Parts: sequence; structure tokens; C-alpha cells
Amino acid sequence: MSAPATRFLLTGGTGFLGSHLAVALLLKGHEVSLLARSLKNRPARDRVSALLDWFGLPEESRRGLRVVEGDVTRPGLGMAPGPLEELLLQTDGIIHCASDTSFSARKRAEVEAVNLGGLSNVLEAAAAGRASFFHLVSTAFVAGVAQGRCAEEPAEPAAFFNVYEETKCLGERMAMAACREAGMRLAIYRPSIVYGDSRTGRSLLFNALYSPVRAVLFLRDLYEKEIRERGGRKAAEAGVRVEPDGRIRLPLRIGASPGGGVNLIPVDYFTEAFLAVLEGAPDGGIFHIVNDRVTTIEELVGHTSGFLRLTGIRACAPGDFAAAPRNAIEALFESYVEPYLPYIRDTRRFDAANARPLLEKRGVRCPGFSYDVFERCMSFAVECGWRSPLP
Amino acid sequence: MIDPGARRTAAQCRHYAMCKIDYLGTGVCASGPEKGFVAYYPQGRMDLYRALADGLVPVTEGLVDAAESCTLCGICDLQCHFVTGMRPVAVMRALKSFVRKHLDDGKPVQAPAADPVLERLRAIAGPAWATNDPAILFTYADDPFPLAGPRMPRFAVLPGSREEVAAIVSLAAELDIPYAVRGNGGSVFGFVFTDGIVLDMGRMRRIDFDVDNWCVSVGPGVTSFELQREAARRGFRVNAAEPAATVCGNIVCTGTFSPWSNVYGTASDGFVDMEFVGRDGKIFRLNDKSAPNVYAFEHAVIPSPGVCTEAVVKLHPVTADEEAVLVPFEEFGEAVAFARDLSARRIALALAVLGGHYVSTFMSPSESLSEKLKDVLPGVLGIRYLVLAVVDAHGRAAIDRMAASVIDGALFRTLMLGLPRLADGELVELVRAYEGNRAPFEFLCSPGMRTLLETALSPSPGTIAGSVDEDLRDAYARLYARPGMTDMVWLTAFRIVSARMSRRKHMFAFLVYVPLDRMEIIDDIIAGFARIAEAHGIDHDYGFLTPMDFGKRAILEYDYYIDHADPAERRKIAGAMVEAVPWMDGLAASTKGVTFLQQVFSQGCSRKENFLYRPGPFPAREGG
Ligand SMILES: Cc1cc2nc3c(=O)[nH]c(=O)nc-3n(C[C@H](O)[C@H](O)[C@H](O)COP(=O)(O)OP(=O)(O)OC[C@H]3O[C@@H](n4cnc5c(N)ncnc54)[C@H](O)[C@@H]3O)c2cc1C
Ligand SMILES: NC(=O)c1ccc[n+]([C@@H]2O[C@H](COP(=O)([O-])OP(=O)(O)OC[C@H]3O[C@@H](n4cnc5c(N)ncnc54)[C@H](OP(=O)(O)O)[C@@H]3O)[C@@H](O)[C@H]2O)c1
Ligand code: SF4
Repeated sequence: MSAPATRFLLTGGTGFLGSHLAVALLLKGHEVSLLARSLKNRPARDRVSALLDWFGLPEESRRGLRVVEGDVTRPGLGMAPGPLEELLLQTDGIIHCASDTSFSARKRAEVEAVNLGGLSNVLEAAAAGRASFFHLVSTAFVAGVAQGRCAEEPAEPAAFFNVYEETKCLGERMAMAACREAGMRLAIYRPSIVYGDSRTGRSLLFNALYSPVRAVLFLRDLYEKEIRERGGRKAAEAGVRVEPDGRIRLPLRIGASPGGGVNLIPVDYFTEAFLAVLEGAPDGGIFHIVNDRVTTIEELVGHTSGFLRLTGIRACAPGDFAAAPRNAIEALFESYVEPYLPYIRDTRRFDAANARPLLEKRGVRCPGFSYDVFERCMSFAVECGWRSPLP
Repeated sequence: MIDPGARRTAAQCRHYAMCKIDYLGTGVCASGPEKGFVAYYPQGRMDLYRALADGLVPVTEGLVDAAESCTLCGICDLQCHFVTGMRPVAVMRALKSFVRKHLDDGKPVQAPAADPVLERLRAIAGPAWATNDPAILFTYADDPFPLAGPRMPRFAVLPGSREEVAAIVSLAAELDIPYAVRGNGGSVFGFVFTDGIVLDMGRMRRIDFDVDNWCVSVGPGVTSFELQREAARRGFRVNAAEPAATVCGNIVCTGTFSPWSNVYGTASDGFVDMEFVGRDGKIFRLNDKSAPNVYAFEHAVIPSPGVCTEAVVKLHPVTADEEAVLVPFEEFGEAVAFARDLSARRIALALAVLGGHYVSTFMSPSESLSEKLKDVLPGVLGIRYLVLAVVDAHGRAAIDRMAASVIDGALFRTLMLGLPRLADGELVELVRAYEGNRAPFEFLCSPGMRTLLETALSPSPGTIAGSVDEDLRDAYARLYARPGMTDMVWLTAFRIVSARMSRRKHMFAFLVYVPLDRMEIIDDIIAGFARIAEAHGIDHDYGFLTPMDFGKRAILEYDYYIDHADPAERRKIAGAMVEAVPWMDGLAASTKGVTFLQQVFSQGCSRKENFLYRPGPFPAREGG
């Protein structure tokens, strides 16, 4: 079945997932109006064009693209009424991907402004225009503080791990109510944690999965340098040393929860799965785009140790820290990755009953998180200095 | 053959007189203390070179002597660089070679004109201590104050005693010649200029302690740095502010305010007694029943009580457990509330709310490092404001209970000596990506992070010295090896880094006493200064705030920054003042507890209560 809509308005197209969607839609011959804001005096158009260059998207595939300067947090999406009306008249489907993805409670105001205020503005515009379909990129973690099976249903958890989850969950409810009222179809896409392209390792964003690895690399480099340049007194105090084979021993225990792990999907899989649902579910619905198999902390530790040529890192039971308190390395690591701990020790299992048949029909399968994939992705991150490779 | 680079540097001299005090323990330019006149210090030679370059003075005997007496010893390069980033030795060298060439070419050297008044001044002060040499006089004619141009005096004289001061004042009265008193000229507000006689108080440098009475008597040439050093040697502390300011000049000018004003107060709180020579040449002490009542305050611009020839300054006790801490905040209101609380609860000794950019500037020995830190502190660490508090062990324990995060003395030392690595290292990039709920500074300052910070920053005198010009690195490394340089208590007492505020550009400071319980008024005042600066295209920033009198009042500084050597920038300030002055006057008239420091000029001996609180009107009394 082909997509019922061919003219899309896409928000968040300058972001990690949104840009992959934009490119995939353009390659499929769809028309995409990309609502983007200018940043640091760089007009939206220039930003998007740099982005598409990064993807190597040929000129002929850019014909269906239109860049519209706007900001979802502003009334009327920050556009003049005339152009906005004209844009909406030419829109069949809206893909809302713009979001503030910070987890920090300190950023609550900004997160709410984008994830609730911004969404509300987009929904309002959608209702006023003639779009028939609203595609909302949400997250599997609207499940909040939960254990075991999480269904592709409206989530109503008692608590959330952070402001991001909370606003994304509220956003889903807001979208469901607004679409019901406006008679718009709604598809909600709930990816788990997305990392770079499994085939190339390329990515635009290096948070979540990348953060703990980055912290470990920082610690390794720190002590290695201290050993090399300043005699290694601090390293010795911290129990860090160079092994006979040249690897660095970094005493770092990472608390794991039994049966827990991290649900990871690569961005190439996310994109294909998104298209499969977009084109395969004419009535919308809620769809988990997740990995059937979580990656355990032990596996991550193994990958990281191999990639960074380290020994001494190990997963441990949380009770271990009561017996032997955290050393300085562990203290830094744990406070640094603290926002990601619920996702690393995740025991939530995301049911994909709605998404699975659509993906299977298209042969879309989530690649495993092998050492090769890990190495590819992390090498790219190191190459980029853990920062977006875009100007 | 004027060297344009040297001229540019010369024109940038800030006139804060930091090269007139031995604040780095290097000694000072030897000719200065020997000859006394400003022209014999690096500051004066900077002026002389600018004057020569701009054709403002001829080559005179005095100019030749000032140039030749410079031995190019290099002391001023370090002294000046430490606060301004400039290297005056290049100017000294240019001045010397200009003069040498002039002499080699057989060009004329102007001798001072004979003048009977000069002879009388010399008869009073001694032949070496009075001059009318135009070049020497030029160094008493100008400062970076942007609202006035140069004003050449007829004479400069350095009296050696109160009797000589009295005689000079009497002579001036007899001949109807105006005069101005000059401490070190560090007020940089155009105050110390006159068409008549400049009395440079630099020779009167007596310091006598009376420890049983907890006081010290100082002559009008003694600077805050010198007094603090002598007091510290004996285990005391005084309320002193800018190190190069004379103690007497500072008191007379505005009353000394500093973070110590939280406990030591300001204005008349600072002294036990003062001695003056009045306009009529008569000597009086404030403790005389018949002395003029200078303790009263008048909300107007009035002249000073006279020439101060002695201040008997209060000594304060120091305890062995003192420590300074910095408490970081993201929001100004939170920082002010915290400081007010400390003051009201009598927890801290010295106390101030500093802006993140202030602290960046103070801590950084180079402008480029400071610029990086200005981004890192707020942008990465979330530190926009810091409450500086000098506390004893009890105060420290209280602050630990009250604050989420504390930068104590040891952590400060680590951060300061490792500053270049804090400003741009992997650590900062890591923290930039930190997503946790705590403010990044809380994460970074937590006790568990200490050893990691030390490893990452590799704090050492050599590390921080790495941020300055290569040829100065050894000297900086030696400097930073001294304990005082990284000790916030010492730095707060001696204030040797505060002049760094003007490293990028000359600072034009607005000071205002504010009611500390009225945050909205403080916010309005800050917004007002910011608005006016923006309207006139002037760089500006919040400076500091220090609570006073148990947190009931505070002194607030807001700064404008201008290149005083650029006429366009001077015009901007002039334009801004047209707007600022009526606004400030209106605010002071309509708001209880608001007094701008301009109104306190020359009334620094008054009781602080008389300008902090202007009570009433009260309802008429019964039967009244
Ligand atoms: C970077 C910087 C920061 C500053 N921060 C502070 C601060 O935190 N707190 C503070 O209190 N001040 C501060 N000041 C202001 C400055 O230190 C004072 O104005 C001080 O008076 C300067 O001392 P001086 O000896 O150089 O005085 P001068 O500039 O020479 O004189 C100042 C005024 O006092 C008069 N005067 C000087 N000596 C005598 C005397 N013996 N008898 C009578 N009148 C005299 C002069 O005629 C003039 O009117 C700062 C200045 C700078 C440049
Ligand atoms: N990445 C993941 O692992 C993951 C997992 C689950 C779900 N998701 C969801 O996927 C979506 C995209 O996330 P992402 O990872 O791609 O995040 P991202 O890279 O941070 O992209 C966020 C996008 O939102 C835009 N945006 C933010 N505020 C905006 C505003 N006020 N006006 C207009 N645009 C604004 C950003 O524009 P600028 O470029 O102008 O800032 C950017 O294009 C989000 O809805 C997120 O919840 C992501
Ligand atoms: S700028 Fe340099 S030369 Fe001028 S007064 Fe200051 S320290 Fe001296």
C-alpha cells in the first residue's frame, strides 16, 4: 500500500531523526515542507542545505523540498498568517518530530514550551488547515516508571523518570484529544533509544547511549595522560595502571539490574520502520519502534572495553556498592550518567503487536547491536568529537 | 620617530597607579620613590610618551630626567601586565630612544621658567619637591575619565609634613591660586586636576601602630596595600579597598567600601580620628569638639573638609580559622537572598555577590583566558553569580548547611591553578553534555569530584602561567607559587586582582547604595543601567553587590566599559550621562534607601547611617 499523503509538513527536520525522515521521504518522491528555525544567524534554509549535503542527497531529490522558516513555540508557528494558511492548504499530512529532548529537571520550562506548547501550536495549525493525518513522533518511554510489558496503548503511568517522558506522554494525550476533535487521523510512533546508522556509524546526536562511553573514554584519556606526562601518581591513587599488553586498567563497576538492559535501535531501522508504518497503517494507531532484544550492561561493558582497550570495567549488582563504596572514578561516572540509568537498567518490555506485522510485511528488521556496529558508531562519535558534525 | 605601537599602549594607561605599589613583591620602579613625582613612575612615562607623540609637551629638562632615570629594569612589565595585560617596557624603551635621539641631534631642551611662586613653594617643601616643568606637570593633568579633558596645573608639589601642607594651603589662599589634593589619582574621576597647585601627598608615608587601642595612624601618602601589609604582619586587618588608593584619599573621597564593609561598615566606621588642614590653613582633628561636623551628610555635592594629613584607622582582629568560600548560583535573586541572609545572621565577614564575568576576569591572568572562562562559567557550569564570603569555622559550617554547593579554599586553588585546562579541556566538553538534574557546577564541585578535578586540571603555578606571554611565564609561575595568590582571604584583603576589571577597557563604574530587602528596586536599577548602556552602544555589566549593616542595605556596582582613548567612545558615555543623571537623581529622590555614590563624593568621613537611611517625614509629634 502506498502512503495516502504525499505532501508533508515536517517539524524537527533539522534534528537527528527528523533529518533522516526528511531525506527518506524526499528520496521516495514525496513533497516535504520543512519547518525550521534559523540559529545563530544562520538562516533555516542554509542549515537545511548543509544538512542535506551531509546526507549527500542529490540535487534532483531536493526538488520536492521547501524550507519554511518558523518556530513551533510561537503562535502561528512563528509565521505570518497568509503564508501559514497557504502552507497548510498544500499539506496532506503533518509529521511532528520537533521536540526538546533534554532530561534535566532544570530545563523543565524549555522542555514544556516545546513538547507541550509547541505541539499544541502545531495541532492547532493542523486543525485549521486541511491535513487529514497527523504523525506524532513520540517515545517508547511514555511508559514512565513501569516494569514488564508495556503495550501500544495510551500510557497512564503513575510516575515518570524525567520531564522529557512526562511531557511526551502528556503530548500524546493532547494529540489524541485534538485529532479526535478535528477528525484527523493520528499515528503515534514510539521509538526506543536511537543510535547512529548501523551500516556507516554516522549520527548527528551523541547523547543517551553515547554518554557513558564518552565518560569512560574521558577517564581513560585523563589517567593515561597523567601516567604519560606526569608520572601517574594520581592514576596509582585511583587504581589505574597500564597492563603489560598496553591496555589501561580502569577500576569501574557499573550497577546492573538483573534481567535489565537497554533497548537500542539504529537510525536506519527507525527510518525504515517509520515509513513502513506511515505507508502501512492508513488508520493510524500507536506503534512501538523498538528492539525485541535488549542489550545488557555486560554486553555494553564488553564492547566498551574492547573498543577503548580497557580492563577493569565490570557490571555489578547494585548491592556491591554497599560493601565497597564508590571510588572517585565510579562517583564521576555514576553522577554523569545518572539521567540515563533508568534506560540502561531497563526492565520494561515494549510489546510491538501493532508495528510488528507492518514491519515484517516489508521485511524491516532491527539489526543486532554487535561489537562491529558499536565500534563503527563510536569511532564516528570520536571522529566528530562527540559533537554534531554539522556547522 | 614615534613608535605607533608604543603610543597606542601609552594612551591606554589606566592611571590606577598599580605600578606605584609593590603589590607583586618585585619592588617598584626605583626612580619613583626617589624623585616622588608621577613622571618618575611607569604611569607618568606612559603619559609623557603619549604627550610627546601628540605634541602636547616639549622636551624639557624634567622629561629628559624622567626618561633617563628609567633603567629598563622590567619590573613594570610584570606589574602592569598582571592587571592590564599591557607591556609598558616597550613604551619606556621608545621614550628613552626618542630622548636620546633628541639629545644626539643637538635639539633644544627646555628649562623650567623662573617663577617667584615656585620659589616660595620650594622654600616650603624643599627644592626637589616642587616643580613647574611642563612635562612633569603633564603627568598631573589627565586621567581616563571620559567626561573631562586634560587640565594643566601651574605647579606640582610634594609636601613632607602637615606643617608644609598648611603652609602651601595658606600660600594658595594668599595668592588666590586654586589647588587640588592628590593621593594616587586612582579615583579616575577627574577630581585631582586643577589650573593651580597639585598637592601630591606621596611623600607622607608614615605608619604608626597603637595596638593597645586597636588603631594605626597613617600619613596621606600611605596606600591601602601598604597599610594592609603592615597590619597583616602584626596579625590585624583593616578595611581597605583598591590597593593603590591612598588610605586617606579613599576615606575622604567616598569612604572606603569593600566586601569587608559587611562587617566593618564604611565611611566614618573606618577610622577613630582624622587630621585635616582646613581651607584657611589651620589644622584640626575630627575628635576636637570645635571641629566642623563632617559626620553629618548633605545630599549635595560639597567640598571636602580640607587636606587630610593623618587618618587613625581601625584595626580588626583576624582568627586562625578564617577561610573564604564561593557559593555559586544560577539566578541573581537567589544569590542576593543568600548573601542577605548571611549578613542578617552575622555569618560572614567579607561578603559580596559577584558576577560570573567578574570572577572570570579576576581569576585569569590573561584576557584570552578570561574570555573563555566567561563562556564556561555561565554557559557550561551554570555559574552566573557567586557569593564570596570570608568566614570562620563556625560560618563555614553554617554555609555548608545552607548552600547546595560550595567552592572552598582548596577547590578554588585547584580551579585557579588549573584554569587554562578548565577553560578549554575535555572536562568542559564533557560537562557541557551533562544532562543531569543538578546544576553542572553542583556536579563538578561535589566532594567526590575533587581528585578527578585535580587530575584533569593538573593545577600548578606552571599550568596557570602557561596562559600568559611566553617570556613572562617563569615570572608568573614564581608569583603563583606564593600561597597568597591562590588564597581568597588574602586576595580579598589585598585586592590585587580587582583592577583586572579594566583589562579589556577602562571601567566607568556606577555605585549606588540600595535597600537590600527590596529586590525589585535592585532589579530596576540594574535594568536601568543596562537599558541606557544599550541605547548608547556601550559595553556594560553587573559588577558586585555587598550587603551592609546586617543586610538592611547594600552597595551595588554596575559598570560601563569604554576605550577612553577613542573619542567616539567618550562621546557615548557623555550621551549616556545625559540620560543617566536625571534618572539617578529621580530614583534617589523618590526611593528610600537609594543613594548614588556621586552624592557621597568628598563626604567619605560622614556617618554611613546619614546616607544609608534618610528617614521621615514622620507624622508631627503630639502637641508639636
Ligand atoms: C579599579 C578600581 C576599583 C575601585 N574600587 C573601589 C572600591 O571597591 N572601594 C572604594 O572605596 N573605592 C574604589 N575605587 C575608587 C578609588 O580607589 C578611590 O576613589 C580612592 O579614593 C582612590 O585613592 P587615591 O589615593 O588614588 O585618590 P585620588 O584619586 O588621588 O583622590 C580621590 C579624591 O580624594 C581627594 N584626596 C586624596 N587625598 C586626599 C587627602 N589626603 N586629603 C583630602 N583629599 C584627598 C582628591 O582630591 C580626590 O577628590 C576603585 C577605583 C578603581 C580604579
Ligand atoms: N533520539 C532518540 O533516541 C529518540 C528516541 C525516542 C524518541 N525520540 C523522539 O524523536 C524526535 C526527534 O528527536 P531527535 O533525537 O531527532 O532530537 P534532536 O536531534 O534534538 O532534534 C530536535 C528537533 O526539534 C527541533 N526543535 C526544537 N525546538 C524547536 C522549536 N522551538 N521550533 C522548531 N523546532 C524545534 C530542533 O530544531 P533545531 O535544530 O532548530 O534545534 C530539531 O530539529 C523527538 O520527538 C524525540 O522525542 C528520539
Ligand atoms: S596601566 Fe600600567 S603603567 Fe599605567 S598606571 Fe597601570 S600599571 Fe602603571
